[in-house]
Amino acid sequence: MTNLNNRQLPDARIMHIVDGRTVDPKDYNWLQRVVRFLLRPFTESWHHRDLIAAILRRELRERFSGSMAGWVWAVVAPVISLVTYTIVFDGAVKLPNNAESKSSIDYALFVFGGLVAFNFFTEMAYRAPSLLHEYAHYIKQTMFPAEMLPIISTLRATTYATIGLVLMLLCQLIFAGSLHWTVLLLPLWFIPFLAFLIGITWLLSAMGAFTRDTAYLMMTIAPVLMFATPVFYSHETLSPDARFWMYALNVLTGFIEIIRDLVVFGKIPNGLVIAWTLFISMFFFWFGYWFFRRQQDAIADVI
Amino acid sequence: MPATTAPEPEVVIRARHLAKAYKLYDSPKDWVKQQFLGSEKNPYYKSFWALKDISFEVRRGKSLGIIGRNGCGKTTLLQIVCGMTRPTKGEIWVKGRVAPVLALGATFDYEATGRENVLIGGAVLGLKRHEVLAKFDAITEFAGIGAFMDQPLKLYSAGMRMRLAFAICAHIDAEILIIDEALSVGDLAFQKKCVDWIDNFRRTGTLLFVSHSTAELSHLCESAMWIDNGRIREAGSVADVARGYRRATFVEKDNMKRFSAV
Repeated sequence: MTNLNNRQLPDARIMHIVDGRTVDPKDYNWLQRVVRFLLRPFTESWHHRDLIAAILRRELRERFSGSMAGWVWAVVAPVISLVTYTIVFDGAVKLPNNAESKSSIDYALFVFGGLVAFNFFTEMAYRAPSLLHEYAHYIKQTMFPAEMLPIISTLRATTYATIGLVLMLLCQLIFAGSLHWTVLLLPLWFIPFLAFLIGITWLLSAMGAFTRDTAYLMMTIAPVLMFATPVFYSHETLSPDARFWMYALNVLTGFIEIIRDLVVFGKIPNGLVIAWTLFISMFFFWFGYWFFRRQQDAIADVI
Repeated sequence: MPATTAPEPEVVIRARHLAKAYKLYDSPKDWVKQQFLGSEKNPYYKSFWALKDISFEVRRGKSLGIIGRNGCGKTTLLQIVCGMTRPTKGEIWVKGRVAPVLALGATFDYEATGRENVLIGGAVLGLKRHEVLAKFDAITEFAGIGAFMDQPLKLYSAGMRMRLAFAICAHIDAEILIIDEALSVGDLAFQKKCVDWIDNFRRTGTLLFVSHSTAELSHLCESAMWIDNGRIREAGSVADVARGYRRATFVEKDNMKRFSAV
């Protein structure tokens, strides 16, 4: 406990702020500044990895604390919904794009794939506006890096989305007998989707810090979004015009189509859809980060 | 002490003409307007200047006491030094790891055990997991709450929580310690333990200390600064500043009585 008295930290941290702006020890030209900004979310989260892990562990434990079954609930809920879809839709509906149905569970899997992605999104969208309020005492009273909170909460939601995804693959394996090889491409879907969700959460949580309306807005549009998103139907049943607008306006469409193509139909998704989805996720990721950083100082003061 | 090259230790905290304005919005609508239409010159908010003009320097191993009435800007100043909030104008320069004891217990999760809270608290204060684990026994011993370490925090008394919080802060290898009226917690034995620890820390560490007790101030600090309404009213030796502060408090108390009588 006393050893700190004769210890010198070699890389003493320096904070230097002049007129509200952090002074960098070095001068960077604009290109270096852009690159540094683009890399920043990654370098920062790597720097804070132990903090992220500690808070994440707490959040995961908190979710089911006080319940006896605990994590069983996280598995039971998606199983029940999957069973329900299978029973309700068994034989009643053909796959919308006339793909050959190998089994009665195909439509259930088709819906379930959409739901995994959509629920992942709504879980983030509902929580994001109040996220910073939940951690107000951290932000106000400690040197807590608030920009890590959206990453932590997205990672928390990831665990539930992963349970759903694994379940979906298991069903496919049990009922259809085999998995499509395209399942191996799922990580390529997951990473851009995570980036998209983190970006959305940066955006919504920063807005939610200033006005509670953000929360009400999300509660209002999320149920509408459920039907404006091809969860229970396929976008291919729509007219080409409507299809275009759905891609353009509802950013979730691309993600849902891709996960279905990969898991249920076993085909490589349309290149244009992939490009558009990638663009969307990168745009939201860095725009959300930029917006959050811009508001960050004000957030600590208003929250 | 690294005093081999320089006759005086290096400056670790430098503040020049610090000023901090909080933006006060009348309604959330004004915030939205400010985002799209507002500018610095034509704002939709009112500025409240918590700090107006503060300049000071603290050298390594020195300790500075800060006194002032409630709402004079002490806490804002400490938050700026910690980097929790950003000054609007002026310059702040801080070198080294800061341990804010003003955040005592801010990260506590009452459902979690003391052990888990130590891990979270250490992480928030910037320690790596293996560093916290290495110091865990020392923290447990300092806190001295025995088997309660494995109980959820909701079962702790207020004093026990503060013991744990101070124990965490005392073990993060800080170079600059910032204490905001936190010492009045705990029983006398623990207070003495804290003061002993701070005395020991002061041999090389730098201390910023806020208190209303001029006795504590003169025990722990070499110099003092009296902040009044966002400005430095008096700075110098603890004895001088404390005398001026006490005198002013009597005068102002009289004033208040006079006004309330009207």
